[in-house]
Amino acid sequence: MAQHRWWVVALVCAAHAAPPGTVAGGPGAARGDFAEALEPRRFEFPRDHGPHPAFRQEWWYLTGNLDAAGGERFGFELTFFRVALLPRSDRPATDASAWRAREIYMAHFAITDAARRRFVFQQRLSRSALGLAGAQSEPFHVWLDDWSLEAAPSAPIGAWELHAAQPGYAIDLTLEPQGAPVLNGQAGLSRKSARAGDATYYYSIPRLSVRGRLLREGRTLELNGLAWLDREWGSGGLGASQVGWDWFGLQLDDGSSFMFYALRQRDGRRDALSAGTWVASDGTVRALADADVSIAVTDYWRNGSGERYPAAWRIRVPAVALEIAVHPVLAGQELRTTPPYWEGAVDVSGNRAGRALGGRGYVELVGYAAERRPAGAGGADTQLHSR
Amino acid sequence: MSVLRAASVRHLLRHPAQLLLALLGLSLGVGTIVAVDIATASARRAFELSLQAVNGAATHQVSDGPGGIDERLYTGLVTAPVDGGLEATRYAPVVAGYVSVGEHVLQLLGVDPFASAGLDAGAAHGAPALALADVDELRQWFTRPGAVVMSEALSRELGVSTDQPFELEVGGVRHTALLIARIPDADAGPGFDALLLTDIAQAQEWLGLQGRLTRIDVKAPADMPPEEFVRALRSRLPADLAVSSTRAQARETFAMTDAFTINLKAMSLLALLVGTFLIYGAVSFAVVQRRSIIGILRALGATRAEVLAVVLGEAALLGIAGALCGMALGLLIGRGLVHLVSRTINDLYFVVAVNAVSVPAATLLKALAAALATALVGALLPALEVVASPPRLALARSVLELRARYSARVLLLASVLLALAAALAIATSTRSLLAGFAALFLLLLSVAAATPAALQALAAGAARIASAFSTTTRLACADIAASLSRTGVAIAALGMALTAMIGVAIMVESFRESLLEWLVQTVRADIYVSAPGIADSLERRLDPDVIAALLAVPGIAAHSEARRVTVGSPAGALELNAVRLVPASYAGFHLISGDPARAWPQFRRGAILISEPLAWRLSLRTGEQLTLQTDSGPRAFAIAGVYREYGNERGEVLMDLGQYRRGWHDDAIAALGIYLAAGTSSAQALSALRTAAQGRQALLIRSNADIRALSLRIFDRTFVITRVLYWLAAGVAAVGLLSALLAWELERSRELALLRSLGLTPAGTAALILVQTVFMGLAALLAAIPAGLLTAVVLTDVINRRAFGWEIGLHLRPAQFSQALVLALATALAAALYPAWRSGRASLAAGLREE
Repeated sequence: MAQHRWWVVALVCAAHAAPPGTVAGGPGAARGDFAEALEPRRFEFPRDHGPHPAFRQEWWYLTGNLDAAGGERFGFELTFFRVALLPRSDRPATDASAWRAREIYMAHFAITDAARRRFVFQQRLSRSALGLAGAQSEPFHVWLDDWSLEAAPSAPIGAWELHAAQPGYAIDLTLEPQGAPVLNGQAGLSRKSARAGDATYYYSIPRLSVRGRLLREGRTLELNGLAWLDREWGSGGLGASQVGWDWFGLQLDDGSSFMFYALRQRDGRRDALSAGTWVASDGTVRALADADVSIAVTDYWRNGSGERYPAAWRIRVPAVALEIAVHPVLAGQELRTTPPYWEGAVDVSGNRAGRALGGRGYVELVGYAAERRPAGAGGADTQLHSR
Repeated sequence: MSVLRAASVRHLLRHPAQLLLALLGLSLGVGTIVAVDIATASARRAFELSLQAVNGAATHQVSDGPGGIDERLYTGLVTAPVDGGLEATRYAPVVAGYVSVGEHVLQLLGVDPFASAGLDAGAAHGAPALALADVDELRQWFTRPGAVVMSEALSRELGVSTDQPFELEVGGVRHTALLIARIPDADAGPGFDALLLTDIAQAQEWLGLQGRLTRIDVKAPADMPPEEFVRALRSRLPADLAVSSTRAQARETFAMTDAFTINLKAMSLLALLVGTFLIYGAVSFAVVQRRSIIGILRALGATRAEVLAVVLGEAALLGIAGALCGMALGLLIGRGLVHLVSRTINDLYFVVAVNAVSVPAATLLKALAAALATALVGALLPALEVVASPPRLALARSVLELRARYSARVLLLASVLLALAAALAIATSTRSLLAGFAALFLLLLSVAAATPAALQALAAGAARIASAFSTTTRLACADIAASLSRTGVAIAALGMALTAMIGVAIMVESFRESLLEWLVQTVRADIYVSAPGIADSLERRLDPDVIAALLAVPGIAAHSEARRVTVGSPAGALELNAVRLVPASYAGFHLISGDPARAWPQFRRGAILISEPLAWRLSLRTGEQLTLQTDSGPRAFAIAGVYREYGNERGEVLMDLGQYRRGWHDDAIAALGIYLAAGTSSAQALSALRTAAQGRQALLIRSNADIRALSLRIFDRTFVITRVLYWLAAGVAAVGLLSALLAWELERSRELALLRSLGLTPAGTAALILVQTVFMGLAALLAAIPAGLLTAVVLTDVINRRAFGWEIGLHLRPAQFSQALVLALATALAAALYPAWRSGRASLAAGLREE
C-alpha cells in the first residue's frame, strides 16, 4: 500500500522547499545522498522488518479490527514514521551531544471505540537519539517514547508485541503473522510517479492474528482480531500533479485479502500508477493494475470544517470476480493532525463469484482536508471526537 | 457659601505662584511614588514574562544540584510505560545557561521542540513551538550547526538577520551561531527580549553540559490535584531530586529583590512625606493670608462647617490636580528609573531585560489616594485652627504668631514623643524591616517637629547677639522668630529632607568605606582569572588545558581555585562558593564569629563557613548545622564560622573544594586566584597570562586593583537610584521652602516699605531678606546635622542590618554634609532672590498703601 503515507515526507522533509545553504545542499543534492528505490531488490526477513537508514523515509503501519470478549468492537491504528533529515555520514564530533539526531520519528495512535461511537487519536514526534525513538532489526523493535512494536521475546517465533497508550485508552497486543510477507508492485518495488526515484520498497503482511488487552478508562478488556501491517521505505516523493490517495486494505472472510491505492490527480482523475495486490486464501498473490479495479463513491461525510470525505464505496474487481460495498464503522475517523487525514475501520459486504462474502479492513483517505496551521512542531495533540 | 467660594477662588487666582509651587511640590512627591512603583512593577512584569517565555506551560519542574540532572532520567520518564494517573503528564527537557553576544547577556534556552510543543499543547503561546512555524525551519533547527531562534525585537537589537551567522560567547569561548528564524513581535512579547532558543543538543555543546539537563519541565494532567501529582511524580524519580511548582519557583526568585524594592518604596514615601509638609505649609499660608476675610465672613454669618468645607475643598482640588500632574511626572521619571532599577537587578540578582514600561492601575489609584490624603491631612490642621478661632481673633495676626510660638513648644514635646516611639519601634523588633522603616519615619517626623522650636531659640539667641552689630541684623533675626507660623513648616520640611540626605550620604559612604576595607582584605591574590558569565552559572568554567597553560606562566608562587554554584537547601537555593585556599588566602576572610584557629581546620575537614548576610537571613550561628542538597541526597554541614562578605546580599556558603567535589561530582573550576612570587611584576604576569589563554578561551584576567575598582563601580551603580530618590525628596523640600519664603516676603512688603521709609536703603532691604533666608536654611541644616547622624545610625544599624544582615561601621566625612549645605544655601538663596530684587525696587507709596 502506501504511498498513501507520502504526506509525511512532504511534512518533515519539505522536499520541494529546502533552503539554500542547508548542510546537505538543496533538495536535489539531499536526495542524491540518500539511496533510492530504483530496481527491484531481494527482501530478507526478519532483517527487512528493521530500518533502512540509507533511505530518506520509512514507515511501519499497523491497523486492525478487534472484538472484545463482551462483544464490543474496536479498531486501532499504530504507525511509526522514520524521516531522515540528513544522510548518514561518519563524522560525529567527539564532544557532540547525545541529543544530536539525523532522524525524526513520528507516530500516530488511534482507537475507534464503536460501541461508544468514539474516535480518539494522538500524535507524537521525537528525535532518534538517546533511545527516545528509533528502530532496530535484530531483535526487531521500533518505538517512540513508550509506544513500541517489537519482536516478542516470549511468544512464538515471528510474533510481535505492541504497546501504546493515550489518555483513556491503552493497548497491549500480541500479533502473529498468518502468512509470509507479500511484496507489492513489481516484486516489492512500488512506483509512485513518472520520475524514477519516486518509488518505494513496499511489502505487507495482510493478516496478523491479534490477542491482547485494552485498558479503557481503568477497565481491562480482552481482545481478539485481525491486523494488517504495511511496510515501506524510499527517498522520493509524490508527483507534482498528485494531490492525495485513497487506500483500501481489506481482509475478507474467506481468507483472501485485497489492497488497492488510488492516487488522485489535481484534475480529479485517478492516476494510472494506482495499483494494488490481491492475496487469495491459499496465499497466491496477484498484482492489480489501475484498470483492474473500479471504485464508485456511494456516500460522503463532512468534517467539522465542512470538508467532504468519501464515506462509502462500491468496489468491483472483475479479474477476481469480486464485488463489494465498503462502509466505515464510524463516520468520523479523521485524524486532525497536520495535515489531517481519515483513517478508519470499515466493514465489507458483497460477493465473490456469486457467493456472499463479508469482511473488515481499514481505509485511508488523504488530501481532502486543508492543513489547519503551518506544520509546526506538531507535538502531541490529543483530540477527542465524540459522536 | 457662594461668597466664601468666590473669595476662595479669587484668592487662589491672585496668588498663582504660590499655588503653582504647592502643586509642584505635591506633584514631585506623588510623582516619585508613581515612578518607583512603575519601575519596580515593570521589572517584575518583565521578569514574569521572561519566566513565562522560558517555562512555557510547565506547571512543575524537576531539578537537582549544580550539576543538573542526568539526561537519561528524562529518557526513562518518557520511554517507560506509566499508569497511576500520570499517563497525560508531559515532560520537556531543558538545558539553560547564559551566553553573551557583544555587550548583551542573553539566556540560552536549549529545548527539544517536540517535547516542548507537547507541553504547550492547548496553551496559546508556547515558546519553542512558536519558533518552528514551518517545516523548513524544523529541518534547519535540527541540521544547521549553531541554529538559533530569537524574537524579532532581539534580532533588531543585536543587528542580526536571518541566515546570518554571528558570534556568541559562552564562558569566554567563542562559537558561531546562525539565526534561522525570528519569532514575530506579536507572538513573542517582552519575555523573549533576552532569550536565545536553540536545540538542546546545541545548548549542551555550547555550555559544555553534555549528558546533563538543567531541569525537566513538567505539565501535570489538568484533572489531577497538585499534591497528589507531586507525590505520584516523586515516586517515579530518585529521592534526591527536587520537584517544585513553577509558580513557587518564580515567587522565590523575585522575592530576592524584596529588600531592594522595599528600600525604594521607603525613599519614595519620604518624598511624599516632605510633600505633605509642603501642602500643610501652602494651605496654612493661604489660610493665614485670608484670616481677615475669613474673620469678616464668619462675622457676617458663615458657619464653621462652611469655612471648613471651603478650605478642605480647596485642598481636595489641589490634591486631585497634584495627583494628575504627579502621575504625568511619575510616568516621566519612571521611564528613567526603570533603567536604573533593571540595571541594579541585573547587577545583583538575575538577568532581566526591561524594555516595556508597565503602569499598574493600582499605582494610579494609589497616587490619587496619596495626593488626596496628603492634601487633606496637610490642610486639616490650619483649617481646624482658623475654624476654631472666634471671628474677632481671626482678624488679628499677632494672635496667630503667639499661637505659633505656643505650638512650637507643643511640637517640641511631640518631637520628643516621636523620637521615643522611634526608639521603641527599634527596641521591640529585631528583624522586621518594616519596623525599621517605621522608626526611620518617626525619627524624621521628630526632627520636623523639633525644627520650629530650634529655629525660634536660634533666632532669639541670634537676635540678642546681632543687636551688638546693626539694627538690620537684629531686626532680621527677631523677624524670623516672629513669623514662625508662615516659615516654620517649610523649614521643618527642609530640615527633614536635609536629615534624610545627610543620613543616606553617611550610610552610603560608610557602606562604601566598609566595602573598600573588606575588598582590601579579601582580594588578596595578585591576579584573578575567571570565566566570564553570570556568577553562579554552570557554564562558567575554565578549560583544564587553559588552566595548565596559565599556571605554567613563570612567576606564579601559588594559586587558589574556586567554583561557584547554586545548591538546594530546605531554605531554598543557596549560593555555594567552593574554594581551594592557599595559606595566603586565609587572611582574606574576616571571621566575625568563630575562632579562626579552630574554624579553619574544621573547614578543611568538611565544615562550612557562611557569610554574614546568610547567617542573618537564615538565623544561623556558629556551631549549628546547615543542610544542603548534595548529589547523593541532603547532608547536614556543621557551621564553623561566619565571615564578613559584602559581595552578595543574599549570602553564600563557603566550602572546601575537595568536599564540594565529593558531594557534587563536579570538577570544574570557575576562577583562579594567582599569587605572584616576590619580585614578579603584576603587569608582566598579566600580559603573560593573557597570552597563555589567547585563542583558547576569552577569560577575565584582572589585577586585584581592577577587581576592587570594578566592585566599587558596581556598588556606586546600585546606589545611583538611592541618590536620585533623595535628590527628588530634597527637590520637594526646596520647592516648599521657596514657596514659603516667597509668600512670606511678598506678604510683608508693607513692613519692608515701612523700614525703607525709616531709612533702610534698597540694598539694605535686600541684605535683610538674604540674611533671613540664609539663616533659615542654616538653621534647618543645623537641626539636620545631629538628626542626620542619628538617621545614618538607623539606616546602617537597623535598616541595612535588617534588609541584608550587614554590619557596617560608621564613617564620617565632611563631604557627606557638604551636599546638604549646598542644598540648604542654594534653596535659601533662590528663595531670597526674587523678593530681595522686588523689595529693592518696590515703590514705597504702593507698599505703604497696602492693606
